[in-house]
Amino acid sequence: MRPHHFHVLMSLADRDRHGSAIMRDVLDLTGGAVKLWPVTLYGSLDELVDEGLLREVNAPAPDAREPAGGHKRWFHITAAGRRALAHELKSMAELVRRGERRLLARETT
Amino acid sequence: MVALYRLLVALLPYRVRQAYGAEIVELFADEWCSARRRGAWAAIRVATLGMLDLLLRLPREHWRAAGALSIEETMQSFWYDLRTTFRTLLRQRGSAAMILVTLTLAVACNSAVFTLLDGIFLRPFPFREPGRLVYLNEQAPKWNLEFTGINYPDLVAWRNGTHRFESISAFGQTDFNIALPGNAERVRGALVSWDMGRTLGITPILGRMFRPDEDRPDGPHVAMVSYHFWQSSLRGAKDVIGKPLRMNDATYTIVGVLPAGVEFPGDAEFWTPLDADAASSNQSYEYDGVARMKPGVTLAAARADLLAAHEAVWRASDSAHVVSPRIMSLRERYDRDYADIGRILGLSAVVVLLIACANVGAAMLVRATIRRRELAVRVALGASGRRVARQILTESLVFAGIAGVAGAVLGWWGIRAVALGSRDLLPPGIRLGFDWRMAAFCVGTMGLVTLLFGAAPAIEARRQGLLGIAALGDRTGSTSIRQRRALDGLVVAEIALATVLLVGGGLLLRAFRQVEAEDPGFRVNGVLQFSLLPPHETYSDGASQRRLFQRTIDELAALPGVTSAGAVSCPPMGCHWGMFYTAEGSTRTPGSDDPVVLTRIASPEYFRTMGIRFLEGRSWTAGDERPLGGAFPVVVNEEFVESEWHGATSVIGRRIASRAKNSPWMTIVGVVHDVRHYGLDQPMRPGIYMPMSWIEKDRTVGSMAFVAHTDGDPLALYSEVRALGRRIDPDLPIIKLETMRDAIDASLLQRRSAMLALSAFAAIALALAVGGIYAVLSFIVGRRRREIGIRMALGALARQMVGMVIRRAVVLVAIGVAIGLPLAFAAARVLGSLLAGVSPVDGVTYVGAVVVLAVTGIAAAIAPAIRAAAVDPRSAITES
Repeated sequence: MRPHHFHVLMSLADRDRHGSAIMRDVLDLTGGAVKLWPVTLYGSLDELVDEGLLREVNAPAPDAREPAGGHKRWFHITAAGRRALAHELKSMAELVRRGERRLLARETT
Repeated sequence: MVALYRLLVALLPYRVRQAYGAEIVELFADEWCSARRRGAWAAIRVATLGMLDLLLRLPREHWRAAGALSIEETMQSFWYDLRTTFRTLLRQRGSAAMILVTLTLAVACNSAVFTLLDGIFLRPFPFREPGRLVYLNEQAPKWNLEFTGINYPDLVAWRNGTHRFESISAFGQTDFNIALPGNAERVRGALVSWDMGRTLGITPILGRMFRPDEDRPDGPHVAMVSYHFWQSSLRGAKDVIGKPLRMNDATYTIVGVLPAGVEFPGDAEFWTPLDADAASSNQSYEYDGVARMKPGVTLAAARADLLAAHEAVWRASDSAHVVSPRIMSLRERYDRDYADIGRILGLSAVVVLLIACANVGAAMLVRATIRRRELAVRVALGASGRRVARQILTESLVFAGIAGVAGAVLGWWGIRAVALGSRDLLPPGIRLGFDWRMAAFCVGTMGLVTLLFGAAPAIEARRQGLLGIAALGDRTGSTSIRQRRALDGLVVAEIALATVLLVGGGLLLRAFRQVEAEDPGFRVNGVLQFSLLPPHETYSDGASQRRLFQRTIDELAALPGVTSAGAVSCPPMGCHWGMFYTAEGSTRTPGSDDPVVLTRIASPEYFRTMGIRFLEGRSWTAGDERPLGGAFPVVVNEEFVESEWHGATSVIGRRIASRAKNSPWMTIVGVVHDVRHYGLDQPMRPGIYMPMSWIEKDRTVGSMAFVAHTDGDPLALYSEVRALGRRIDPDLPIIKLETMRDAIDASLLQRRSAMLALSAFAAIALALAVGGIYAVLSFIVGRRRREIGIRMALGALARQMVGMVIRRAVVLVAIGVAIGLPLAFAAARVLGSLLAGVSPVDGVTYVGAVVVLAVTGIAAAIAPAIRAAAVDPRSAITES
């Protein structure tokens, strides 16, 4: 999975968001390491919608936490998107486990 | 910026633009606004990264919009395009070579200049949170002094009276004579207050920083060494802490090693404690300061805080507010000297890039026109417009790729040459290295250029999709009016931009020549100079210093080939020691600015050795240094006479006295011509020379410079002078051994570099513009063969055809120059202080630039004109 796609799916895993909220959230999630610039962000969103991992939804009622501009497009992760993300996370976790095991093996010999 | 971004967003495929265009622009606008609030660099960063994001993502979006072939199909098609591209390039070698050379030069200039500017202006300081560091000094506008140096008691008052600083430290630069086995060496060092490590936010990699009790008058001899010195001279030994080091005839104990990259200030190899006396009443303005502001404090708030703390100093000792604190960001202080040359280099590189873009754009338009038929045939045989556009885009990518790599290599090679050749010019501590930003900049530049020159032919090819069959029937082969206008426009733009650089280069050249021709007021050729820094430990009193100096002068004068030798405490282009004087019977109006007087101690032979001319009187001799009732005889310069006794015809016998306590009266015995002490392009201050007899008992000097005049080559004396040094005192190194000519050249180094850089850019710009004129005229003559043939068949003469082509060149150059001259006038102001008195509207330069452009423009038109005249009417009309 492309890193941008992964970050976008991660951001939408817990709630629906619009573009700039995704950008801020990914920046926050990665501790400032990954910034999705506008064209990359919307290009990735469009690709993910094409692949059926996301779909556009109506803007929710305005809420204090996320100022919602009326014209902004909101995105929602689909069941296929959740599966793809879960699969990606699982393989990452596996990789982390293996890496740690190797480090441990070197330290104990 | 947002408007430009919105314009570029229009390049996205229709579907993406429709769906997300508004939100993309809005998001960028939000980023841009918040970045601008954070400062200029943040804004530049967001603008660059935002644009790169858009431009680099463009091909992918178009590829998706095009209905995405499979990877295999795409690769196959790409390889096909690549093969076709190389075949076409080989077929049209001339224009391909021109495009490649143009692009390579542009990338090379830009990447080299960017690396240089990045190294000087953008690289972060190796300190913790450098944004909170500020530079401190004091200023005295009434004395015409931008920086006076800090009086240590003032700094103590700031420390006690301010609330917005975490810490305030003082430092001074000094040189150490360091004894290494077999010889003595001079190494740059710094005196720093004990809290310097805390202020800069650094911790030693070995050992510790200084302790407060080590930073006091007559404190212990302790030193910290730089990482560089530790590695090169101490071989990185881990056990250096506590080891002794012989410096200035004293033994210092190494207490710590500074981290790598921290050679502050400048390229200091050592730190020793400042040992300044806070209770000293001696007003000695000699230190620099650096301070760390508390988090969130702005420069303005820090300045107000500092001024409030300085009130105590004003109340106690300076009711006229002559000296006041000065504060600026550390970065500003560091970059000040390079602002002019940085601006010039940056703007020139951008102009060269623009010219290159225009040139390449014209060349690509020409190629597209020549290939119109070929493309039309391909479209007629079933190739889609998109397919043709992709082919042309591949071509652009090939150009950009080759030129990008070649340009980066060339630029990198150039920067290495600059780094090796001008160590003295670059700020100390700067390291020029290839980094990802330079690579990104090259790729970014190329992405932009690719898009610019790839787009025009691609649009042309799309249009061909509709008009293909019609074009097949078009047998005239002439160009459309629109195309010709576009070509003319590009050439005019190139000439206008080249005018700007030519005028800029010309102005700097004139300024340089003017400064070089200045009479320095002293002899430049056949003079050698060097300095000695007698360490206080060995030469603690005036008498021993004078013995050392006199022996050196005598032995120097006795060297074979030396006609005369002398000494001065402060040689030209070397230093400044300012004092205030009271003059008997001064005509200066009370309340007018009190001038700082450059004070030097000189031996009587100094004037003859340096060829300094006496306007009146004479110098003292070794025998009559105290001839007039115990008063020192002094020599003053014209400027001194002018400022104290304006219009006086003779001032011999008049008396002056320093305003320091208990200073004796001194009698003027001579007046000399001004010398350009501070540089050929700097004005002279009032100055006086005092005899060597001033040095006595506890009155000593820090250093003394010696000069020798020889009839032969001064370089031949180098080894003799070094031997002389070893003979007089083997522990005392000879420093700054150089010819006076070298000293003057070194003082002009920055001016010379700016002049050479801008001239080089102007030459490249001119070459590109002339190449552009030649290519466009050649192309137009080629396309109009039939028309020329018909005209000649109808009776037009060959010389009329030559006239037609030349006229066109003249018109293009004239319009370009007409646009370029006002631009050049506006740009000349950027040159600022480098103009040194040459007017930004200097007629000679402007006329010169116009003549150069006219001559080269017409020269470029001669070959196409001759080709036009040689057209054979019969073959031109009959050929298809």
